[in-house]
Amino acid sequence: MYTELNSILNTTPDSFTQGEFVLLSDRQSDASFLIHHFLSLYLRARCKVCFVGLVQSFNHYSAISQRLGVSLTQAKEKGQLVFLEGQKESLSVLIPQENDTGSQAMDFLRDPSVGLKSLYEFVRSAVSSNGEGGGDGTEEWGPPVLLVDDLSVLLSLGVSAGAVLDFSHYCRAIVCSQLQGNVVMLVRCDGEGEEDEGDDEGSERLMKGLTHQCSLTLHVQGLPTGYCRDIHGQVEVCWRRRQGDGQYTQKKLFQYKVHDKGASFFAPGTSSAVL
Amino acid sequence: MLPELLQGVDTGGLLVIQDSASYSGRHLLQSFINAALNREEAVHVLGFEVSEEELKDGLRGSPVQRLHFHNAYTDPLGWTDNPAFTVHQFCLGELTRLVKQTSHSKPATLVIDSLSWILRHVSTPDVCKTLQQLRKGGAVRSIIGLLHADMHQRGTVGSVCHSATSVITVEPAMRGDEAVAKITKRSKSGKVIQDEEIFRIKDDLTVVVQSKSSKGAKKADSEEQETDPTANLTFNLRLSDTERETKQKLALPFVFSKEKKTALLHSGPGSGRIHYEPDANDDYDQEDPDDDLDV
Repeated sequence: MYTELNSILNTTPDSFTQGEFVLLSDRQSDASFLIHHFLSLYLRARCKVCFVGLVQSFNHYSAISQRLGVSLTQAKEKGQLVFLEGQKESLSVLIPQENDTGSQAMDFLRDPSVGLKSLYEFVRSAVSSNGEGGGDGTEEWGPPVLLVDDLSVLLSLGVSAGAVLDFSHYCRAIVCSQLQGNVVMLVRCDGEGEEDEGDDEGSERLMKGLTHQCSLTLHVQGLPTGYCRDIHGQVEVCWRRRQGDGQYTQKKLFQYKVHDKGASFFAPGTSSAVL
Repeated sequence: MLPELLQGVDTGGLLVIQDSASYSGRHLLQSFINAALNREEAVHVLGFEVSEEELKDGLRGSPVQRLHFHNAYTDPLGWTDNPAFTVHQFCLGELTRLVKQTSHSKPATLVIDSLSWILRHVSTPDVCKTLQQLRKGGAVRSIIGLLHADMHQRGTVGSVCHSATSVITVEPAMRGDEAVAKITKRSKSGKVIQDEEIFRIKDDLTVVVQSKSSKGAKKADSEEQETDPTANLTFNLRLSDTERETKQKLALPFVFSKEKKTALLHSGPGSGRIHYEPDANDDYDQEDPDDDLDV
């Protein structure tokens, strides 16, 4: 986890807001470094994590988390982490073997118009099985967390934007509202956006719909002035709902740089390369 | 106009609050719910987008006994075995049954959060038909709906707002805690009133209108500023009368009167004359540059 991002979001492994739906988005950039932050943060916070990894293999996340000080293999063995490796599971759907015991989570690949109900069922069973192991000596974990990387690839696989929004709604209903856990989802856009008519099924509609559902967005973009070696881009953090003191939307802009073992965030213009 | 609407939507009216991803209209919706509850009206909320706890959390301090929340949030598509209310139950019969379950002497106000959720699964004509039937039906006194305008095509938004008696479009304002409301109100006589106001919602969910929008204020400013620019200067820009006369008499060098033109064009005796003999090179024909066509 990145300590500067923790202080920006006011979270620590010991105390973080529960029931939050965090939306990570990027436009012509790559926000996946934020997924690693949240993964290591919630694993350190001893939460029960369900990770739906549709774009990369388990080893990829494992290698990066190792550099951030968290072992995914260990977490998986202890039962803290439930990892859906989308690429591997999809093979068993596309090339079925006799002795396949895979879950039905990726069944939407057979018929994308059916929707993501089976994927939701997988998530539900993963997050709800928290208290079952308490009796026979296995560890009790904290509130459940769902991480999805990423939702836009579902659009490329033929699922409609409406079905993805339904899936995120149901995940939010069960994880955030019912179990008081957190949901972190990554959605990616390309192009400039702002298409008014016509593109009913596009990534813009998905992004707008998710923005309405979430309580915190982190939007990653390149610098408006172009490529820079020392600053990799900017992150706009937007708090959409604030219980307590005022309910107005608050936005903050930061610039970031990704290192080998983390990422640093700073106010615009205060990069160490410039000062 | 916003406080007027908060005091009560007319009987048989449909108020649509349009918002976008940059500013959520749910806060204003909660203000409307709060105002209705304070008027001792029964409010039925059909909640698709937020859970009951979240909605009631925002309504702290309001008398929520008369608030009836119909849970369409946990299972709106019937994915579990016994859903409370699904989106496909959004029709006149089901909604009338839902509202009449809790018996009240006065017809209630129905709040729909949100219409966008329903429009994703039910076709626009059906939604408009149901809203129209509800308005005329008498089971509910008035309907308030939240619509995310940026999630639908313009035609869909237009159709729903066409059946509304009042539309409030909210957008973020310059200051963080304020917002701009563009209001269109259609009265029963057919008159349409439009207004734009900047408002702020306080902690107790009352709405404070800060000012009319800056559009009206800007015009007055530009008129006021047309004061005398030659005043308050350290040098003198004013003209006395003699100076003004001399200025008007002055003939400018390149402004030609008719006499001056003819004098210049027809040169007098003794001045140089220009004698021109046609030169072969000057006779350039665009269509025959090499001059070798036998035309």
